Amino acid sequence: MDYTNLRRQIISMKKSLFDQGYLDEQFNQLEELQDDSSPNFVEEVVALFFKDSSRLLTNIEQALEKYPQDFYRLDSLVHQFKGSGSSIGALRMKNECSMFKAHCNDRNLEGCRRSLQKMKREHATLKQKLETYFHLLRQVGPPERAVNSWK
Amino acid sequence: MALRPWYAALKEAANYQERKIHVHHHLKSSIFMASRNQGSAPRALVVEDIKVDCVILMHMLHKLNYVATAVENGKEAIDLFVEGKTFDIVFLDKDMPIMLGPKTVAKIRAMGATKVKIVGVSTDFGAREAFMQAGADVFVPKLMKLETLEAMLQVVISKKNMSS
Repeated sequence: MDYTNLRRQIISMKKSLFDQGYLDEQFNQLEELQDDSSPNFVEEVVALFFKDSSRLLTNIEQALEKYPQDFYRLDSLVHQFKGSGSSIGALRMKNECSMFKAHCNDRNLEGCRRSLQKMKREHATLKQKLETYFHLLRQVGPPERAVNSWK
Repeated sequence: MALRPWYAALKEAANYQERKIHVHHHLKSSIFMASRNQGSAPRALVVEDIKVDCVILMHMLHKLNYVATAVENGKEAIDLFVEGKTFDIVFLDKDMPIMLGPKTVAKIRAMGATKVKIVGVSTDFGAREAFMQAGADVFVPKLMKLETLEAMLQVVISKKNMSS
C-alpha cells in the first residue's frame, strides 16, 4: 500500500475540510485528545454526533409540522444540535443552526423550514466527507494515526 | 482532616499500590492525594444533557486521572447527593431539561454541600452571573480546552486543600 500517497490524501482532505469551512479549530482540539489508550476517540465522538443529530433533525422536522408550532421547543432542539455540532468543530452546521434560531426568535416558520433543509444538506455532506476521511485514516492504521502527523 | 505536608503525601502516593497516577506526575498527585480521600483519585460529577459534550468532558477528566460520573440533568444530580454520594467537583451545563444548571447549583448548596467545588459550563457567557449567584465556584465558557480544565482543576483543588 502506498502510505505516502495515502498520507498526502489525508492531509489534503483535512485541509480542504477546513478551507471550505466544514470544520474549525475545535476538530483539531478533538484530535489532540486522542491517544494510544483511545485511538478511535475522534471517530467515536463524530459517530455519536451523527447518531444524535439525526434524531434531532427528525424531531425538529416533526415539531415544525405540528400545529401550532412550539417555537420554544424548536429552539431547544436546535440549541442541542448546535451545541454538539460546535463540540466536534462542525462550523457550517453551527452557522446554519444560528440561522434557524434567528428564524425561531422571529417566529418565522418559512425561514425555519428553509433553514432545516439547509441543515439536512450540510449534515449529509459533512457525514459523507468525514466518513471518507476516517476511512482513509483507518487504511493507514493505528501507528500512523498520531495527531501530529496530519498537521 | 488536617492537611498533611506535600512531601508526606508524595511519599504515600509513591507507596500506594493501586494508584493510577504515574510517579512523574508526583507534584500534581500530591495535591490530589491531600484531598479528603487520601489514596483515591479525585471524583467528578458531570451534569450534561448533550451526549457529545458529556463524552468529551468525561474523556478529558479521565486523562487527568479523575474518576468521573455522568448524569443527564439536574434532578439526577440532586438524586445522587440525596443518596449520599460525594464528589470533589461538579460540572454543570446551564440549559438542561427538567432542571437548569444554576437551579441545580442552588439546590446542591441548599442541601448543605458547601465544600464540593461547582463549575458552571455554558456557551452562553451571560450564564456566568446566574451560576455564580446560585453558588458556583467558577464559570468556564464552552468549549473548554484540556489545558484550561487542567489549570482550573489544580486551582480549585488547591483552594479546597487550603480551606480544609
